[in-house]
Amino acid sequence: MTLYRLHHTTLYDYAAPVVLGTHYMHLLPRDRPGQTIREAQLDISPAPETRRDEIDHFGNPTTTVAITGAHKQFAVALSATVEVRQPPPPAPEDTLRWEAIAAKALLDPDVAEYCLPSDLTTPQNDIADYAAVSFLPGRKMLTGLLELNQRIFSDMTYRGGVTSNATTAAQTVVTRIGVCQDYAHFMLACLRALGLPGRYVSGYLRTLSPPGEARRRGADQSHAWVSSWLGPDAGWVDLDPTNNLLVADEHVTLAWGRDFRDVSPLRGIILGGGRHTLKVGVDLEAVLT
Amino acid sequence: MIDRHGRIRAPWSPIMAAIREIGPEELARRAGALNRQMGLAAPLGTVPRSFYDPLPVLLTSGEFAFLEAGIKQRAALLEAVLEDLYGTQSLLHNGSLPPALVLGEPHFLRPMHTRGRLTAPRMALYAADIIRGPDGDFSILRDHTGIVPGLGHALSLRRLASGTLPELFRAGGIRSLRPAREMLVDHVRRQAEGGLVAVLTGGATGPGAAVDLADDALLARALGVLLIEPGDLAARNGGLHMKTLNGLVSIATIIRGVSGIDLDPLEQGGRPGHGIPGAFGAIRAGVLTMLNAPGSALAAAPSLRRYIDSLFQPMRGEHPILPAAAENGAETASKAPFVTGANYTPVPICFRLFSWHDGETWQMLPGGLALPLRQPADHAGTQLPAPADFGLKDLWVMEAEEPRLTTGAPAAPEPPEHVTFLAAAHLPSRLADNLFWLGRSVERLEAASRLLMLALPRLESGTSLPRDIAERGLLTRCLAQARLLPAELAGTSVSGRLLRQTLTRRHPMAGLLKEAGRLVNASSERLSPSMLSTVRFALHQASEALGNEETALPSMLNFAATFAGIAAENMVRDGGWLFLEMGRRLERGETLAETLAILLDGPPERLEPGMALGIELADSVLSYDLRHAGILAPAPVFNMLLADAGNPRALAYQCTALRFCLERLGADDDAEAARLLQVETVNLAGTPGGLRPALSGVAGKLRMLSDRVHRRFFTLLPEAHTLDEDEVLEAAQ
Repeated sequence: MTLYRLHHTTLYDYAAPVVLGTHYMHLLPRDRPGQTIREAQLDISPAPETRRDEIDHFGNPTTTVAITGAHKQFAVALSATVEVRQPPPPAPEDTLRWEAIAAKALLDPDVAEYCLPSDLTTPQNDIADYAAVSFLPGRKMLTGLLELNQRIFSDMTYRGGVTSNATTAAQTVVTRIGVCQDYAHFMLACLRALGLPGRYVSGYLRTLSPPGEARRRGADQSHAWVSSWLGPDAGWVDLDPTNNLLVADEHVTLAWGRDFRDVSPLRGIILGGGRHTLKVGVDLEAVLT
Repeated sequence: MIDRHGRIRAPWSPIMAAIREIGPEELARRAGALNRQMGLAAPLGTVPRSFYDPLPVLLTSGEFAFLEAGIKQRAALLEAVLEDLYGTQSLLHNGSLPPALVLGEPHFLRPMHTRGRLTAPRMALYAADIIRGPDGDFSILRDHTGIVPGLGHALSLRRLASGTLPELFRAGGIRSLRPAREMLVDHVRRQAEGGLVAVLTGGATGPGAAVDLADDALLARALGVLLIEPGDLAARNGGLHMKTLNGLVSIATIIRGVSGIDLDPLEQGGRPGHGIPGAFGAIRAGVLTMLNAPGSALAAAPSLRRYIDSLFQPMRGEHPILPAAAENGAETASKAPFVTGANYTPVPICFRLFSWHDGETWQMLPGGLALPLRQPADHAGTQLPAPADFGLKDLWVMEAEEPRLTTGAPAAPEPPEHVTFLAAAHLPSRLADNLFWLGRSVERLEAASRLLMLALPRLESGTSLPRDIAERGLLTRCLAQARLLPAELAGTSVSGRLLRQTLTRRHPMAGLLKEAGRLVNASSERLSPSMLSTVRFALHQASEALGNEETALPSMLNFAATFAGIAAENMVRDGGWLFLEMGRRLERGETLAETLAILLDGPPERLEPGMALGIELADSVLSYDLRHAGILAPAPVFNMLLADAGNPRALAYQCTALRFCLERLGADDDAEAARLLQVETVNLAGTPGGLRPALSGVAGKLRMLSDRVHRRFFTLLPEAHTLDEDEVLEAAQ
């Protein structure tokens, strides 16, 4: 078990006053098997005129705020205490064959939609070919997943600033470059090309630099990875292709969906404002391990 | 109309007799009249030429009773399906519907999937397309659970047809649509609890263009509610508001004519101008009701169609009264005769019947539409109706032959209270903007026509008398000022031939006429059908005359005069009229000041040609002659063109008219500016000459006033834009 103290601040500075801002946010962490939110709050400044906290289709908490009255700054601060206790994954050879998973997933209302293409993860032929290498007929699901995770980690080059939120898996399979979001979309498209379920998970990765080991990428920043399904009994298992990891207690989940668009942390429509600058700060600290 | 034994179905007999009496030629003529009328009733001229067929389709009271039971049963089921799929999803968990099919359907809108129910049913309006097979059995061809198309047509067609083909209605015995329509209006208004009700349309153009704009507009008119576009709306404080001249007004209920997909850019992404940011949240919070809720089209998705019938038993414990039609059902559907020229063509049809939920139970419209199912040859294979080919028909429901039993039936509801219709304060800013520019554009057209009518004959007659030369110089400058000639010709003396060539090459008049036509369409919801028909007719005549030198300019003036007359005689001097009037007065004032600055430039002894042209341009020759025996002198001419409060073409008159409008709109500071301008013009009339700088100054001040009016009334809110997510990513990777 690890107990985390999480702070995530987002600050917009507008060049000109905004007269009305409406924002839709996925910035409160969700509960999930292996993760309990002990305490979480989202502070918004200036104080919103209206605020609605809801749960979306995927079970993620959402917050919608409307800020009226001219303002030149908009700040959102999340502070949360999260307990992470991931159950150990089953041995790969004990998991079901991937064909059986595909068949079961399509009939399970809680899983089916994660097998379907989404805007950013529509599988193309070359993606299906890439994925098929790791999922030869009869292969166990987790064996295939771990190999795919490792291949994407090896075949991709991590580089910021060359891709955007609109970059699709079909583009990434060609360029093989990008950030955690692109790694995740690429892997999701591979799974969906085979009719296998995959979720896009947004969250955070613990900063940990043991002596002699390289600092992990995505540390102390927002992060994204993939969750896949091992069947009704074994449930979901998370894989981080950016770091070639099977997710254990070092990842804190914020939200999940079919791809980034379902869990975009902050979407806003503003009136006025002109140009703006954005500062984001994340601090994930293990207070008890 | 023909049963399987080849006999004419009984209720048709009196109709057929009436049709025979009218005769085919007359009937074709009446069909044309009906469609012309409908074209006028439906704003924006979006109705294809032969959109309506004058022959009705009949249902007996027994047939209707059967269909009514089937439709109410189906509506209740489809509503329950939607509540389930957007709620607990038990239909997916118990295997009644394949999860991947529902969750992969584009009309499954995840933002509308809620833990609890919405405050209003997700589907409160429903239409079913029904066919009658060769054995006389009815079946469901299609459901309409999202946008319910055709209700506007259905509510308007009867009214127009009864005027065009009174003979058909003489036999009587048709159930009236009016009580049902009033109940619907009453229900929608009561549900809105005093908030505004509106029909949301995608508008005529743009990315979210309306499926059937005429239908939306006719529906708004039939129900007596507002017609709005997404751009008219703003989300504030969690609710939805319409931008009006009086600020933001809360909207409680929207009858939705646009797709739910991409309706809310805040939650679905997409550009803010193409939807209503915050709409989904307002619906989930219960502060906004949509008929129907976004995502309700899911229940009519073709992929789910074959599963619907199997849900009646488990969900309602009943068998469907009306089963889904077989795949090829449309091919063998019963036929009805359509008027084609002087002949009739039998075409397979479907019946479209409408139903709504009044909070307690499903209600039926005792009527509807019949739609042709035949396809044009090049579209063979698809089964979508092709109304453009054969037209929509009115669907008549006959009264029961014996008086219907009323005992035990619920008492008829009280007639709805009279509700004040569309207060002037609720004029959407978009419409005020359009009317303002319409006023300007018609005035611009008139001024250009007057100037050309004055200039053409004078530039043709090429005498070299000094006075004629001076006149031609002045006219050339005026033409350049009005942008009817290139600016570089302003200092020269242009021949009539060159002017004609320039006009032919640059088509300035056609452009002005086109712009006026566009704005007439954009403003049409505030012009009554008779006004609209008169204005459109004059507009049409003017366009036809464009190529004809003799009649072009008189036709333009005729259009402008028709328009001015209608605005003066047929419009209430409030709301929309004020903006039309302001546009007109600002345009006339600016043009007048700029033209007179040219014509009245120079020392008094050389003013005569300019004064003569000015008097003629202002259409004031007769008045001047009567008052001053035709002797041109600066003082009386200045007085008539600048200061005369009784001359609608004097500069001061425009300022007075502007002041009146601005006062009515509560824009006191701008009204004061107009008053000062009026005083300034009156004072100018007393000066001996050399008016050019002063008049140019007045034109400039009018332009400033125009800008202020624009800022004050039309740009109520700055344009919305999305916060850039890419910047979030750069920090989040």
